[in-house]
Amino acid sequence: MKNPDRSIATDATRRKVLKAGSAALAVAASGPRWAWAQTPKRGGTLRISSGGDPPDFDLHQSPTYLSQHVGAPCYSTLMRADPKDYNRLLPDLAEKADVSADGKTVTFQLREGVVFHNGMPLAAEDVAYSLERIRKPPKGNVSPRKGLLGNVEAIEARGARTVVVKLAQPQADFLFLVSNPFNVIVPKKVAEPLDAQGQGMKRQIVGTGPFRLTQAVNGQIYELTRFDKYFGAAPFLDKIQFFPIKGEIERSAALQGKRIDGCYFFPNESVLATLRKVPGMTVLRRPTPTFINVIPNAQRKPFDDPRVREALSLALDREAFIKTVGPLAGAFFHSMGLMPPSSPYSLSVAEVKQFGGYDTLPGLGGNLAANRQRAMTLLEQAGVPKSFKVVVPTRGDVPAFRDAAINVAGQLKTIGLDATVDIRDAGAFYAIETKGDFQVVVHSVGMGGSTPDQILGEGYTSYGGRNYGQWKDEALDNFYRQQSREPDPKKRGELIKQFQLAFLKTYYQINLAWVGYGAAYWNTVQGWTALPDLYGNMQFDKVWLDA
Amino acid sequence: MLDYVVRRLMLGLVTLFGVAVIVFFVMRVLPGDAAVMLSGAGAGAVSEKELAGVRAKLGLDRPLPAQFADWAGNVAVLELGTSLRTGNPVIADVARRFPYTLQIVVMAMLIAVLIGVPVGVLSAAYAGSWGDQILRALSIGGLAAPSFWVGLLLILLLVWLFQWSAPLMWEPFWVSPWKSVTQLFWPALAVGLRQLALIARMTRSIMLEVLGEDYIRTARAKGLSEWSVVMGHGLRNGLLPVVTLIGFEFSALFGGLIVTETVFSVPGLGQYVVTALLDRDYPAAQGIVLILAGIVVLGNLSVDLLYGWLDPRTRVQVTEK
Repeated sequence: MKNPDRSIATDATRRKVLKAGSAALAVAASGPRWAWAQTPKRGGTLRISSGGDPPDFDLHQSPTYLSQHVGAPCYSTLMRADPKDYNRLLPDLAEKADVSADGKTVTFQLREGVVFHNGMPLAAEDVAYSLERIRKPPKGNVSPRKGLLGNVEAIEARGARTVVVKLAQPQADFLFLVSNPFNVIVPKKVAEPLDAQGQGMKRQIVGTGPFRLTQAVNGQIYELTRFDKYFGAAPFLDKIQFFPIKGEIERSAALQGKRIDGCYFFPNESVLATLRKVPGMTVLRRPTPTFINVIPNAQRKPFDDPRVREALSLALDREAFIKTVGPLAGAFFHSMGLMPPSSPYSLSVAEVKQFGGYDTLPGLGGNLAANRQRAMTLLEQAGVPKSFKVVVPTRGDVPAFRDAAINVAGQLKTIGLDATVDIRDAGAFYAIETKGDFQVVVHSVGMGGSTPDQILGEGYTSYGGRNYGQWKDEALDNFYRQQSREPDPKKRGELIKQFQLAFLKTYYQINLAWVGYGAAYWNTVQGWTALPDLYGNMQFDKVWLDA
Repeated sequence: MLDYVVRRLMLGLVTLFGVAVIVFFVMRVLPGDAAVMLSGAGAGAVSEKELAGVRAKLGLDRPLPAQFADWAGNVAVLELGTSLRTGNPVIADVARRFPYTLQIVVMAMLIAVLIGVPVGVLSAAYAGSWGDQILRALSIGGLAAPSFWVGLLLILLLVWLFQWSAPLMWEPFWVSPWKSVTQLFWPALAVGLRQLALIARMTRSIMLEVLGEDYIRTARAKGLSEWSVVMGHGLRNGLLPVVTLIGFEFSALFGGLIVTETVFSVPGLGQYVVTALLDRDYPAAQGIVLILAGIVVLGNLSVDLLYGWLDPRTRVQVTEK
C-alpha cells in the first residue's frame, strides 16, 4: 500500500534522550512510518465536541484543554509525540535537534518551506520569540507553563533556520518539555505587537498547522479548514468542527444521534457505560496526567505539623474514594508514588505501604480501622482538640473537585474532625485558594505532560506553580534539580524514586487517585490513537472518515 | 400624555443609574478576581507579578470610584465596553444573542396566551366541574414547577424517547424561520408552561368575577347564547388585567431565562449572564444587567401606556395627575 504520508520519524525515544547526556544527540530523519490497515479516504468534515468554549486561543496563556484542542490542529511544535509510542518524539517544525557534549546547549534545525496561515514564512526568530514568550511572558500576558522552560538560560535565533537554546544545567527531559503540545510556535511579527497591547494571541490563530481557523462563534461553533500549504502531508479531512456542548448527557445524545462524530471529554462513567452498548462506537477511558490530591495548608496551624498531615492521610480510604468518586469524575486510576499509573518510576508496593494510609490503595490490603486509630492518636499528640473544625472549600462545577471534597470531608469525620465542605463557584474558590485562605483543599491538578520533570517539577516543588499548600522545603527542591540534570538513566531513575520517597514522607500533598477522561467516537473516525495524555495527538492531520 | 412619558423615562434613567451603581460595586464585592479567572491562574502556575500585569492592563488596579466614573461615562454614550472573555464589544455580543432570547420569550408567551386564556375561560365557564378541577390542579402544578426543572425533564424525555439533543447550531429566525421555531420550541415550552398556568389562573379568577356581574346576567336574560355572553361580554371586559400580566411577564422573562437557556444550551442573553458572572467578566456582566434592567423599565412603561389605551378611565386618571 502506498503510504500517503511524508512525515519522517526519529529515534528520539525518551531512553535515547536520557542517555544522550554529554554525548551529542541528533534527531534525524529515518524514513516514513505511518501505515494504515485501510486506504485512507480524503474529504469530509469531522464534527467533535468538548466541554465548552475555549476561553481564548492563546495556547501559551491558556491553562485549559478547551483552547488546546481547538488550537492543536492549527499549530505546530518543534517536535511532537509519536502516536504509536508516547515516549518517542517525531519531528514537527524541527527536523533535527543536537545536544552539545556538556548537555547544556540544544540546537534545533528548522524545516525549510514552512509557512504560517497568513502566508509568512517560518523563521528561527519566530521560534525564539515563541519560546521566550513562554519563558518570560510580556507584561499583561501570563504563562502558566513557564516552569517547563525554567531551566532555559538563553534562546538565540541564528540565521533563518537555526535556534540555539542554552540550559542552566543538563536536562534529560528538555526535548519533551519544549515540545509540550501547548508550546506552539507563533509568528513573531503578529504576536509581538499584540503582546505589547497585553492582548496576545487570544483572539486569533496564526499557526503553521494542518488546519486554519475559519469560523469562531462563541457558544456555537469553531470551524477549522484544511491548510493547503501545510508543510507535512496534506490532511485527509476538509474541515473539523468543534461544538462547545457543555452538558455531558447532551454530548452523549449528540453523539448517539450522529450529530457529532466523536467527543473527547466524558468524565462520568455512567455516560460512557451507555455509549459502550452502542454498536459501532469506540469507547475508551484514557488516563491523563491529572491527579486528585488532598492538600493541607502548611502555613496554617495545625497543618504545619507533619503529624496532623499524616493523620489526614491515615483517615483516607483510597479504594473507597476511587469506587465512589471514580465513576463521577473519571478518577479510576491509582499509582504507586507520585508519578502516573504504570510509570517506569513507580515505587514498589512495600515502599508505598510505609506511608500512612497508602496501604488503602486498591489491592494493598490495608487495615483502615488501625489507620484511623493511629490518626486519632497522632491528632491527640499534636494537640488537636476533638471535633476540631475543618472546612474544605471546593468549586461546585467540577465533580473532580466537588465530589472529591465531599468524599474526603466525610472520611475526615471518621477521625473525630468536624469536617464540612464549602461549595463555591470557581471564581470564589480560586480567590480563597490563591490567597492561601484555607485549611485543606482537595484539588484536581492537570499537568501538561507525563515526564518526571513535568509531574515532579510542576506538581511537587515549592516553586513549580502547583504548591497550593504553600510549603517551603529547599532540600526537596534541590533533590528535584539533582534528578533533572542526571544524565545516566539508571541513576536518574533511582533519584526519582528517592525524591518520591522524600516527598511522601512530608505529607505536603496526599495522593488519592488519577483521572482518566473518557472518549467515544464512531468507528467511521479512523487514524486516531489515544495517548496517555489528554493533550497529545490532537492535530487530527492523520485522521480520516470512513463514511 | 407626552409629559407623562417623559417623566417616566426620566425616572427610568434614575432607576438604571441605581442599577448601574449596584451592579458595579456588587461585582467588585463578590469574592473572586477577574485577572485570576481570565488567566486561569487557579489552574496553572501564574505568578502574582503576571497577575498584577493583567490587572494593570484591565485597569483593575485603579481606585474603584475612578473605575466606576470611566465605566459610567462610557455607558452614558452607550459604550458598554469589551467582554474580557470573548474580546468582543458587549453590545455586539448582546446583539448576536438577543434574537434567540427574544424569540423564546415571544414563543413562550404565545404558547401561554393561546392556551392559557381559553383554559382560564373554560375553567371559569364550567367552574366546579371535574374539568375545572383538573385544569386547576394542572395550573397549580405548572405554577409550582420551576421552568428549569421542567426543561430538564423535557430534555430527559426527549433524549429517552427520540435520542433528541440540543441543536449544534442554532439558526437565527431570519435565516431559517421554520427551523429556528422548531429548534427553540422546547425551551419556549419549558418556559411557557409556567406562564400558561399563571395566565390560566388569572383568566379564570377574573372571568369568575366578571361572569357574576349584573351586565352578564342582563345579557343572559336578553337570550344571548352562552358563547356570546362569555366571549363577547365576559372576556372582553375581563381581559384587561390579563393583558397587563402578559406585558409584565413579557419584560420580566428576558431576565428570567438564565437557567432555561443554560439547560438547553441556547446561546442567548441568559447564558451570557451566567458565564459573565462566573468568569467575573465585569464589563459583560455589568452591561448585560443594565440592558436587562432597561428592558424591564421600558416593558413596564409600555404596559402602563397600553393599560391607559385599553381602559380610558385609567387614561383620564393619568392625565389628571
